[in-house]
Order: sequence, then structure tokens, then C-alpha cells
Amino acid sequence: MKFRRIYILWALTALFLVGLIFYPRLVNLQPYWVLVGMTALFYAILASSWSLLAGYTGQFSFAHMAFMGLGTYAAGILIRDMGFAPWQATIGGVLITGVVGLIIGYLCLRLRAVYLALFTIAFAEIFRLVVKAEVKFTGGPNGLELPTYTFPGWLQNLLRTIVPFWDANVYIPAYYTMAFLFVAALLFMFLLVRSRFGIFFRAVREDEEAAAALGVHVVNTRVLAFVVSSMIAGFAGIVFHHFIGLIVPDQMQIGRMSLIIAMAVIGGSQNLIGAALGAIFIHFSLEWLQQIPLPTAVLQHLLFLNDWGFSVDLHAGVLRTNAWRMVGFGLLLMLTLRFWQNGLISPIIDWLARREAVESVAQRFQAERDMDAVDDVQAIGSQAEAGNPQEPTS
Amino acid sequence: MSQNGTIRLEVRNVVKNFGGLQALAGVSFTIEGPQLVGLIGPNGAGKTTLTNIITGLLKPTKGEVWFNGRRIDPLRPYHIARLGIGRTFQVTRAFRRMTVLENMLAPGLVKHPYMSRKELEKKALEIMKFLTIDHLRYEMGSNLSGGQQKLLELARLLMLEPDLIILDEPFAGVHPKLQRTIYGYIQRVRGEGKAIILISHDMESIFTLSERLIVLNFGEVIADGPPEVVKEDPQVIEAYLGRDDEEDLI
Repeated sequence: MKFRRIYILWALTALFLVGLIFYPRLVNLQPYWVLVGMTALFYAILASSWSLLAGYTGQFSFAHMAFMGLGTYAAGILIRDMGFAPWQATIGGVLITGVVGLIIGYLCLRLRAVYLALFTIAFAEIFRLVVKAEVKFTGGPNGLELPTYTFPGWLQNLLRTIVPFWDANVYIPAYYTMAFLFVAALLFMFLLVRSRFGIFFRAVREDEEAAAALGVHVVNTRVLAFVVSSMIAGFAGIVFHHFIGLIVPDQMQIGRMSLIIAMAVIGGSQNLIGAALGAIFIHFSLEWLQQIPLPTAVLQHLLFLNDWGFSVDLHAGVLRTNAWRMVGFGLLLMLTLRFWQNGLISPIIDWLARREAVESVAQRFQAERDMDAVDDVQAIGSQAEAGNPQEPTS
Repeated sequence: MSQNGTIRLEVRNVVKNFGGLQALAGVSFTIEGPQLVGLIGPNGAGKTTLTNIITGLLKPTKGEVWFNGRRIDPLRPYHIARLGIGRTFQVTRAFRRMTVLENMLAPGLVKHPYMSRKELEKKALEIMKFLTIDHLRYEMGSNLSGGQQKLLELARLLMLEPDLIILDEPFAGVHPKLQRTIYGYIQRVRGEGKAIILISHDMESIFTLSERLIVLNFGEVIADGPPEVVKEDPQVIEAYLGRDDEEDLI
């Protein structure tokens, strides 16, 4: 059987899924690292759903975090003021995000590139400021509390059987719920981009006029991408904040949105999985860089870094990078944009998934020559049968 | 096709102004049934503007366009394409970051949304084979040469299965071997009972292939008829072909 690169991709996917399942065990069930894993998955959903919008349809939106917040606030208000159960509020919040996404998607239809970016920045900031200024419904700057999900008894028992350490700490159920949502969201988006809509998304991204001339409904395609990606962001926000218990307006800051975009760009914004893995990689790197464990002997040689804004903690045996980790992250982003515009992860996935060339151009022309030679022989044969032999001409 | 199975395009007194500039000054003609119509005229005569109006990329300032008994000038381009008018562009517009096969699937999925992917790919491959680009099916559009992109654009059109095809400068900048392939394409499409509007500055091709010629000059139709009649029209000779080099061009 011929070895194909795609098998490596399948093996890596399987390895990733195994890692996803056993991650809490790998970090010894430490609540902090389980929370880091859960947050990484939250960012991964946001980055990949943003890539669906920006990478696949070319709509560079800055409103993604605003949609995440919109869904979460809507769900919180539905629970607090209208007596919805958390799961009902989740559905309600996602639908409300979809409706607002539809309206904003239509309003943005004629906007391209920088104009679309500015429009969505304006929308996101207006929404954040309104949420911050208003207190009665949204809780203002103090945020809005959300109750945590409670699983039905039978499901709880089932999950305890499957995951023996289910009750080890409060973040374990949250982690697995987020992991389930992550896999479901990626699978849904993957199927969407593999469907005819995915082809239309990319055709519209490449050339709207040419796509329309081939019968692609550009308006519906753009709006569909906007609505779907907004709803997924809203869904992720609702689930994440139900477990965290609180959402504050600053979650929707433009800086936070830039972080999501940077994660997607570093991973590869034209590939859902690349963007998701980029988010996971960046989030873990930033967490790890916060305090790097180093031997005391090494740390003693690094004490001069205290004058540069680092914190060398000999007692704890760590080097704290403080704001410098974000400088490193910014540099990585700049280098990616300059040298690897398709991101760092997505080219590897593309290479593994790419179909190998069918034949070279030289082979092709040789095949054509062979076919011509066969035709010549057949022509001579038929002439001979007809009693009209003729010398072949060169 | 229309209800009675014939193709009918009617351009009725179409005017198009761009600010103070009048690009089309009341163009009217009808194309009925399968035929190959050459649309010629000097640069700036209004050929591409007219094409853009027929395919919905531009709205006429005045006048109407009807296709198979339906007024199409108020419709959006995608709607007009789905009604059966396909086109290529003067400058090729392949989807560069999509493979050749994906380029083919886009119109195929518009035409046959529920056909299995396997069947669509089979159909796409057959068309690609005819246009000698099947070996490039997993190549990105951006990796294709100019001529190959032109062939891809023509191949994509066949996936849409339009009744009327508008080919805007299909021979421009094309190698003679590819030109023969495009000739074969045009003859095949014509043989399938479709109507074709061929826009080209390649006079030899236009006069060889066309069954009828429409000549535009300064946004007006100055001649419309069989090529052998049109080429003798004094207005055409003066406005477009030129008196002295008439023999060389035809």
C-alpha cells in the first residue's frame, strides 16, 4: 500500500484527541492548569470561528468578541430577569446573537477591508461602552453573574463513571464541557467548509464579481458566514462564562479581540484547525512565559533582568517575564506576518493534507505524443485494410 | 431556455452614462436561437459595458434587457447567471487560492446543489480533459499560466450549463496551440445548441467563427448582419476596419 502524507495527519489528529481527553490527568488535576486548558479551548473556538469569517470569506471583523459578549449577556439576562433555565438561556442567547449577527452582516455587506474593520470596531466599542455604562440590566463595570450549569442526575452519574476524577475540582466538568463544545464546533465548521457553502465562501473571498457571474449568491454567502461565526462565538462565550460565573465588559475590549486575531493569524487564519491550534499554542505559551521555572544557579545569573522589568524570584525558582511576554508575542506576530502569511501551523496541515500531483507536465506531453503515435498507427492500419497502403509521413 | 425551448436575448434601447460620458447611446439587438454572434468595435466602443449590463454587473441608465421572456436588467448578477447567461472576463479571474477542481465545483454546485460530489467531480474532469487541464486539477489557480487560467475560466462556464455564453476576448495573449483548443471549445458549445456572443479584436477568428456580426462604435450599433455583408459596410470600414488595410485585416 502506498504511504500517503494524510496518514500522518490522521495520526496527529488522533494523538491530539487523546491529549485533549487526558489533559487534566497530564497536569495532575491542578485546578490552575485545568482552567488554563479550558480557557485555551475557549480561545481556540473563538479563533477558529473568526477564521471562518476572515480566512474563508475575507470579512475582517473586529466584532467577534462583542458577539461573544452579546450572547453571554443575553443568556445572563434571560436567566436573571425571565426565569430561564441555564440551558434554555444558552439556546436563547445563541439565537439572539444570530439575529444581531444577521443585522450587522447585512449592514456590512457593501463594506470591504479597512471600512469593514472600522465599522465592526465601532459596533464592538459602542456595545462594550453601553454595557459598561448601563447598570440595571448589565451590572455595569462590575459585570453580570451567571449561574453554573447543573447536569441532570443520570448524566452526572454517567460522566462520573466515564471520568473517575470528575469531582476532583470545579474546573474538571467545565474543561470537559468546553472540550466537547470545541470538538463539536470544529466538526461543524469543518463540515460547513467542506460543503458547497465552503466552496462559495472561498469563491466570494477570491473574487465577488466572478463568483456572482458563476451564480453564487454573494449576499447570502457573506451573511451566512457572519451569522454562523457570530453564533459560534456567542455559544462559546455563554458556556465559558457559565462556568466562570461572571462576565465583565472588559472581556470585549479591542485588545482582547486583537489577541484572538493574532492567535488565528499565527496559527493560520485560512485553516480552521490551524487557527484553533494557534490559539491553544499561544495561550499556553503566554501562561508558561508568565513564570518560567529555572534552576536557582541559572536565576542567580539573571538577577540583572530585575532592572529590565523582569522579576527573578529565587525563592520560588521562577523568572517572571511580566509585560515582556507580550513583547515576545508581538514580535512573533510581526515575524509571522512578514515571513509566513499563511501562519505557522496551517502550512504544515495543508502540506500533509494536499493531494500529490497527478502527473508532471513532461509526463503529460509524453502521454499526448504516445496517443498521437497510436492514432497514426491506427490510421495506417485502417488505410491498409481499405486497400490503400500509404507510407507514413514523418 | 425559454418555455418554447429557444434562446432569446433582447437588448432594447440600452443607454449607459458614466457621469458626463455616454458609453452606450441606445443599443438594440435581438439574438434568437443558437447562433454565434461576434461583437466587435474599436476600443471604447462600449462592448464590455454592454456585456456588464447584460450580465447584471452594471445597471443601464435607460433601456431594458430581456432574456427568454423575462426582464433581467434589474436582477443581480448571480440571478442572471442562474437564468442561463454565463460569461468570461477580459482579464481572467480564476479563483487563485482554490484548486482547479474547486474552481470547477463552484458553478457546478450552483447548478446542481444536490448532485453527489463524486458525480460533479466526474463531470468537471470530463470538461477539464476536453480543455487539456485535467492534469492540473489539484493545482492552485495562482500556479496556472495565463493561458491555462483562460482555459479554466472557459471550463468553469460549462459547469454552469448556460444557454448563452459571452466570451470577452478569449484569444487575447493566448499561444496558437491554446487558441486551437479554444476554437474547439467554441465549436463544441455551439454544437450543443447554445448561443454565443464572442468579443474579440482577433479579426481572423471573428470572421471565421461568427455567423452574425454586430459592430459597435461610440456606443451605437453601426452594423448588424452576416460577416460577409458587414465587412463590406462602408460605415464599418471607415469606423473600425479602416479603408487602406481592409484587405489585410479580413
